[in-house]
Amino acid sequence: MSDIKYLETHEWYLMKDDEITVGISDFAQNELGDIVYVTLPEVGQEFEKGAAVVEVEATKTVADAYAPMDCTITAVNSQLETEPETINNDPCGDGWMFKAKVNTVDDSGMSYQEYETFVS
Amino acid sequence: MDKKTTQLHHYHLSQEAKFIDFGDWSMPFSYEGTLKEHNIVRTSSGFFDVSHMGRLEIQYSQIEKISNLICSELIDIPTNKALYSIFTNEEGNALDDVIFWKFEDKIILIPNASNLDKIKSHLTTHNVEYIDKSEDTVLIAVQGPDTIDLIQDRFEIPDKFSTNHTENYLYARTGYTGEDGVEIMANNEDAESLLTFLTEKGIKPCGLGSRDTLRLEASLPLYGFELTEDITPVEASLSWTLTNKNDYLGSERINKQLSSENHKVLKKFIIDSRKIARTETVGIAGETKGLVTSGNFSPILNKSIGFMLFENMPSQDLIEFDIRGNLIEGNIVNKRFLN
Repeated sequence: MSDIKYLETHEWYLMKDDEITVGISDFAQNELGDIVYVTLPEVGQEFEKGAAVVEVEATKTVADAYAPMDCTITAVNSQLETEPETINNDPCGDGWMFKAKVNTVDDSGMSYQEYETFVS
Repeated sequence: MDKKTTQLHHYHLSQEAKFIDFGDWSMPFSYEGTLKEHNIVRTSSGFFDVSHMGRLEIQYSQIEKISNLICSELIDIPTNKALYSIFTNEEGNALDDVIFWKFEDKIILIPNASNLDKIKSHLTTHNVEYIDKSEDTVLIAVQGPDTIDLIQDRFEIPDKFSTNHTENYLYARTGYTGEDGVEIMANNEDAESLLTFLTEKGIKPCGLGSRDTLRLEASLPLYGFELTEDITPVEASLSWTLTNKNDYLGSERINKQLSSENHKVLKKFIIDSRKIARTETVGIAGETKGLVTSGNFSPILNKSIGFMLFENMPSQDLIEFDIRGNLIEGNIVNKRFLN
């Protein structure tokens, strides 16, 4: 858990070598309520830091998950297409959204403790 | 300004409900999740604290004056009936959609929370006397197919859309979910024992989140979305409520609209996807533009559904929505979402 970092826009990322795994935080899934649909990117798509990558539809509202840094998608969690509720049940584990190759490293995310303070 | 809370707020806190601001009120949005609560009401029984809604007690002597203000027949329906109707203004537009509970000696009028003050001043303007019981009572909706079995040892169950009472409770076999059930009005001092009774029966608390997905799936309008002061019952596809045969406020325009297609029209739609066309999403059916009034995910259909207000009668059923920049197709449906 300690390597996971968080953004003010409530995504988490885990960086390993030049690849990141990205999802949304437990706080974010709790705020959104029941997630019923996600629009995932395609492998090979490039995103700049801050660009909307995943659209998350919940019964309460719709929200975007943004790219934590410039990156190119290498994998998406296709389980979410049929079981989007996985994000509610395990946001930082099985509910990961995409993996991406980092194009410009920007490891400026908050630690878990910093993020906890940020959302409280 | 601090939001108002209901008499049962302490219970909602104890159940760790998530809250949502709803007009002047802070109300439970969900306890265990909207979809879970939705399914509880569709398959067993759940209860909603809807004490934010108004409760006005009106003596029977006022019935003719009220009848002049609503589009439905209230006088000639039997005593102990419940009635859904709409208060209309001079232009025939909807001031509020309400429920009346008729009893032998009085009528209970249940306006929407956001319209309570408006309806009170409307009644006063038209010399209708009432007693506002909203702050002295609670209103609990118990809904779902198992409800009647679960509560019948304490409540003598009336026929559907009928009222009944015990020493402590006034109630009617009405609701806002499309399921069987009752709505119960109790004095504040009797609220705890009612709550205990319901929870001991295993009936689960449900929040406004599931109330909204349930009412949408049941094709029921919500004031502030489908109904506003800018739409008539005819335009809102609620012509079935027009049972008041006498003149009433706004009836002239409403009757004219009945024999014309030259007016706005509210339609239901389904999108064969879980992508939600939310309120104010733009769509077009042929040449006819429309705006989504409410849209959400239907857990039972596993599709996205909603209501859409068109400028006039659409010439085709295929709708093209612009959902956040994406073109998504849906279809107008003329039957109910659920059978």
